[in-house]
Amino acid sequence: MTEPVPPDPDEALRAIEYCYEQGWSDGLPLVPVSKPYVDQFLATTSRDPDEIIGSLEQVGRDCTVYLAAVNAAMAGCKPEYFPVVLAAFEALMRERAARGGGFQSTSGPAPLIVVNGPIRHELGFNTSGGAFGPGFRPNMTISRAIGLIVRNAFGIREHVLGQATQGVPGRWSICVAENEEESPWEPLAADAGLPGGVSAVSATLTRTCEFIDNRATAVVEEVLRDFADTIGRLGPQIFPQTPVALVLCPEHAQQFAGAGWSKADVQNWLIEHSGRTAGEMRRAGKGHVLRFGKSADAEPVADEEFHRVLSQPQQIPVIVAGAKNAGISMVARIFGEWSGIASPVGEKIK
Amino acid sequence: MPNAILDPTGATKTTAKPAAQRAPRPASLKGARVGLLINTKQNAAPFLHEVGRLLVENYGVASVTHRTKLNFAVPESDDVIKEMAAEADLIVTGVGDCGSCSAAAAADGVVFEAAGVPAAVIVTESFRATTEAMAELRGAPGFPYATTAHPVAVLTEDQVKERAAGVMDAVVALLTEPADKQA
Repeated sequence: MTEPVPPDPDEALRAIEYCYEQGWSDGLPLVPVSKPYVDQFLATTSRDPDEIIGSLEQVGRDCTVYLAAVNAAMAGCKPEYFPVVLAAFEALMRERAARGGGFQSTSGPAPLIVVNGPIRHELGFNTSGGAFGPGFRPNMTISRAIGLIVRNAFGIREHVLGQATQGVPGRWSICVAENEEESPWEPLAADAGLPGGVSAVSATLTRTCEFIDNRATAVVEEVLRDFADTIGRLGPQIFPQTPVALVLCPEHAQQFAGAGWSKADVQNWLIEHSGRTAGEMRRAGKGHVLRFGKSADAEPVADEEFHRVLSQPQQIPVIVAGAKNAGISMVARIFGEWSGIASPVGEKIK
Repeated sequence: MPNAILDPTGATKTTAKPAAQRAPRPASLKGARVGLLINTKQNAAPFLHEVGRLLVENYGVASVTHRTKLNFAVPESDDVIKEMAAEADLIVTGVGDCGSCSAAAAADGVVFEAAGVPAAVIVTESFRATTEAMAELRGAPGFPYATTAHPVAVLTEDQVKERAAGVMDAVVALLTEPADKQA
């Protein structure tokens, strides 16, 4: 029996540099992909490789199952991740903002991908500490795959069709597997039309993630007031409504649930309390938000009137993620509005 | 023979767009009906209305109508383009001052031209690259357009008027000069 021949690093480097030279890379090394390797990805789904799974009409480009597979492989996904990539892309392309110019936008939004169900453990997703990464291959490579699809299949490249002023840190690296084991509530997929603990992916676009560090009070309303302050802050206000995803740490979620609060209770409290007064908005140059959609001769809102930035629970999807080791949660600012519909992770061909 | 490295762009499968047609230009603007396509961005409406006013006052344009885009981020629907092409001889659209809306303005301009209506697309200086890339995608490489300095949204009413006056030469050239003299 002979020893297996170790891989040739010089040949690998040549292949990596070749990919850079073609302009395919997001800046990090790509996995050079051969047909036999991409066939392993395509074997994980019954879908036709030529099926179009997303289109950006304004640039005249389509993404097929095949192109998604090549980009997923290049991103470093394993073949068995591919059904999750397909579900994530489907969920993301359900977003009006994603189809309607979001990838070209000066705001440079990031996909926020949320994975639920048994697939999290089957594929080895991180479901606890460090939920926003890095360190775990499925979380990092599935989100990167989406970024490569946008770059390569849709042709949205920085400084050309991609016009982000600054962009979101970690733009193509946010894939959160919900900590269902330590969540007191139903998983996000159940709120998004797929109950019963099935494997599913939800996705939206986010403009930033802002932390709430609050671990010194047991009073639910006090913690929520801290959330409301961030949710209602002026910076993100460009339209009258500014939806957010709440990525609650297990400690906050359990604190709320332990005091008898449901997800809906949390959402409704935040709808009521998140915003700023018209006067505060005007003093920060955000007075135009108050006039949005109103006729020019409409009566101006009084300075002391409170402008709520949210009006319905669907604008505040609630996810539980991270370690149960501190009261640190995240508010993810949704770009546009979330569809509220999760995509099931497809069947695996045996 | 080793395996080839696969192309993630699908470039081999896309067929090049046929060159988009450019509308014939009138010799002068006298008596023309101008349609403004306003993209809803802050100050786009007063900017374009001032351009329209100056076209009437200084160039003999007969009438100015306007429409507002439903979604600034994407190209306008075929129906709206058709309706505007029927009711106007010339189009002015803008003001592209963001990533998606500048590209969309270029796409709209290319479609108006193909429909036989000369179009002047106005974007801010910051969005040249994306405007040109979108025009090329739509089969119109080198598509001429007018620019104004960035930003536009923060300007006062008087400043908007100054800026509008500043693009008039370019707009008039775009609407009257044959394509081979432009860009």
